[in-house]
Amino acid sequence: MTGWDELASTALVGTDRRPYGGDLLEAAAVEVARRRAGGRVNEPGGVEPAPGEEREAVGRRAAERLGRLLGGEHERLIPEWLAAAAATGRRVPAYVLPELLERGRRDRSIRVHLGVLAGQRGRWLAGQNPAWAYLLEEPTGETWELGGAADRRAHLSALRAADPGQARRLLESTWERETPDDRAGFVEVLADGLSMADEPFLEQALDDRRREVRQAAANLLTRLPGSRLSQRMAGRVRARVTISGDTITVEAPEACDRDMERDGVRPKPPRGIGERAWWLQQIVSRAPLSFWGSPNVLLGMKIPDWDAEVKAAWVRAAVLQRDPEWARAMFGWDPIADLLECLPPEEQQELAARFVRGHDLDSQLIMVLGGVSSHWREGLATAVLSKIVKVNTTQPWNLGELVKLAGEHIDPALFELAEDYSPAEPVQKVAALLRFRADMYKELSR
Amino acid sequence: MTERWSRDQVLALAPDASSQKAAQGVAAAGKWSLRGTTGTVLYGECKGSGARPYLAAVDLSEPAYRCSCPSRKFPCKHALGLLLLWSADGVPAQEAAPQWVTEWLDGRAERAAKSAARLDAARTRLATTPGTAPSARDAGPSAPGASAAVPGAGPSAPGTAPGTVPGTVPGAGGRVESVRHQRVAAGLAELERWLADQVRQGLAGAQEHDWDGLAKRLIDAQAPGVAGVVSRLARVRAEEGWPGRLLEEYALVNLLAIAYRRRAALPDPLAQTVLIRTGFPITREEVLAGPPVRDHWDVLGRRDETQDRLTARRVWLRGRRTGRPALILSFAPQGQPLDASLVTGTTIDADLTFYPGAAPLRALVALRHPTTPPPAAPQAVPPEAPPEAPPEAPPEAPPEAPPGVSPGEALDEVAWVLGEDPWTESWPLVLTGVVPGRTTLGGLPLHPRAHDPWRLIAVSGGRPLTVAAEWTPQGLRPLTTWDDEGTAVIL
Repeated sequence: MTGWDELASTALVGTDRRPYGGDLLEAAAVEVARRRAGGRVNEPGGVEPAPGEEREAVGRRAAERLGRLLGGEHERLIPEWLAAAAATGRRVPAYVLPELLERGRRDRSIRVHLGVLAGQRGRWLAGQNPAWAYLLEEPTGETWELGGAADRRAHLSALRAADPGQARRLLESTWERETPDDRAGFVEVLADGLSMADEPFLEQALDDRRREVRQAAANLLTRLPGSRLSQRMAGRVRARVTISGDTITVEAPEACDRDMERDGVRPKPPRGIGERAWWLQQIVSRAPLSFWGSPNVLLGMKIPDWDAEVKAAWVRAAVLQRDPEWARAMFGWDPIADLLECLPPEEQQELAARFVRGHDLDSQLIMVLGGVSSHWREGLATAVLSKIVKVNTTQPWNLGELVKLAGEHIDPALFELAEDYSPAEPVQKVAALLRFRADMYKELSR
Repeated sequence: MTERWSRDQVLALAPDASSQKAAQGVAAAGKWSLRGTTGTVLYGECKGSGARPYLAAVDLSEPAYRCSCPSRKFPCKHALGLLLLWSADGVPAQEAAPQWVTEWLDGRAERAAKSAARLDAARTRLATTPGTAPSARDAGPSAPGASAAVPGAGPSAPGTAPGTVPGTVPGAGGRVESVRHQRVAAGLAELERWLADQVRQGLAGAQEHDWDGLAKRLIDAQAPGVAGVVSRLARVRAEEGWPGRLLEEYALVNLLAIAYRRRAALPDPLAQTVLIRTGFPITREEVLAGPPVRDHWDVLGRRDETQDRLTARRVWLRGRRTGRPALILSFAPQGQPLDASLVTGTTIDADLTFYPGAAPLRALVALRHPTTPPPAAPQAVPPEAPPEAPPEAPPEAPPEAPPGVSPGEALDEVAWVLGEDPWTESWPLVLTGVVPGRTTLGGLPLHPRAHDPWRLIAVSGGRPLTVAAEWTPQGLRPLTTWDDEGTAVIL
């Protein structure tokens, strides 16, 4: 026991019980000063220094803006900042790393950018703090054998992008041993680089025990017009649809047989839809759209029975089969964001702008705009700003989300257009956010 | 032209978190119908809820703030928002400021001149009082560089006249003092007896209400300093390894009581330390009248602590020339503005006057020198600026880490400080060439609450750097570091 511990334990029990020769408090005071003043330098234990950086850091202003975003100002722009910074091939300065890695721990969606942005220093830090170890999880062959579900999926995605056939063969090799949840997730990965080479595997997956797996496989096969499933669906539609002159005669299915179920048709309709309508919609949406011909001609035809069902099915078919011609045509009939996503960006914006001009501000408008890919050009931007000005005079309290969407998606280079467009406060708010983003890109380009 | 502050430095000026948020809300160009900077002052008109815009201005040399808004926060969100805009390069340079700005600046200059004149007068008065030589300490810590410049090193200054009784604060009336001394002596005698009882009966005996009662009696005995120590014992009792910690506190407060009792036998600076720690007040005026120490002071960092609805702000400085550390302590009721004039990471050219004591640390900023030093400042210690420095050279140094010492030298300094004033619980240090770890910094232990200093570790990358830190008996608390580019990173 050292002198100090001796003093402390004596004081704890009291000198009445454990006598002390001398004045304990005075001795303790000397000891306190001695201990406090007598600190020694311990040779620090060895953590290897971080390797040098290969990339340059973003500028100080850019880094400060990231600090602001992480601090809660315009938080929704964090992914945009990270994507833009990662695209410049630079990294963030070391001092923001702890905050950024902490953010990535809670928000998986931003991790994809962190690999580049965190640089060597980030990986070095992640090696010391297990909470940030996700940064180190590079997909390798080993993670396929041993990794968690997310890592394995990342590994499969990467491989699929590089070599679709190899990815499918890897999946086939372990298919039987995968859990049902994993199987469903893995099938979805095949959407990237999908080809007829995947057809036999997917056809087999239609017999899977798990419904999610069957459904995912059926959805992918629907995108392959040459697949056996597409051909079977085409056959079902052919048996129930007759086109003569400008009339489409439709006979909805009477039953949902076992083969239909195997091809992804769900027998039990959701509430509010009749069984036959439900089955009809499903077979139409899964039959190749090439079966029908030109959408504009078909939309001009009369459908005496099941009109709404057939058209809803065409919408679904356009989305499932990613068919731009049909998506364009069907957006006029049912403007939903899913259809826009089948179209090239310019066309999305044109369609959306037309829609904004002719539609009141409601949740549908917000959803459509949410589906238009970012950096809206002048056409859509002015359509939206004009809508904001109009709504501002009648129900300004409803503008919150529209203002945010506009500020986040309009091309930031248009901030002056927005500033001059109207002095109305919500427009100025959009302009301020655009300027914020314009500054953000400017800083990152330096 | 003032070096632009970083966003963190600006936000650190905010009185609270909600002000930080509010400031970010007005830090948008669109909110300001007018804004500009002359390099030393920022100004702008911000649209508020009323018809007339708020007029906000910031004098960057101090900084000082003015705004026409009714907010009681200080600095208000408009001043902070303007600073944020400026920090982001969003305030255009202008030749001249509008009239309302120049009027404000003139008024401030006038007040500053008046208070400088008052200070001079006070110093002259003291200097003419026989035996009290304010110049005594002037000569003290002048050697530049390392440990030789430790504050007050050497037989520097008998702060009071030889004729005065040691243990009295200069300038106070004798009779009143003696009444107070009787009360304090009685209170501390009771404290000594109580402590002796504790050690006889065992440390585990004391309860929170015992300390509370004792602290109240010490307040009644006009020994608020000691009362403060006693009232914090309940917290010590809750710490890990409390018997040892409690014994430390008992031993030190007992030592203080004994030192008070025997103060007549102590060297004068130590007697001053004992009186101040016991709770004898020293007025601002007395401190300001002391000998000024002019230097370029690096603002190392700061910490706010709220206790009993009072927020204490500690700002630590260290002089470039003298190597002297200083603590600027200010208080404000919770929610009220704190002194925001010292910005971490900046360097100020100022006269400081120190509270007396054996290891003086606490100080007041007596005078801040303007951007271009006046040619004949009567009381100024000649600045060590190299003669070839052009006259327009800004005293606000470009970002650069302040000079520091090795951990070994820092420990020597701490040992010296504790030798002078064993009650010292905080001492600012600038360490160079130190590598931070999760529980250590340059081989010295970190304070338990400062473990895992990830930001510091990230900046270092396992390599040595310069870190300003607060030494405490429980370990170091990092304050600020400087990255590769010399930019201050607040920790």
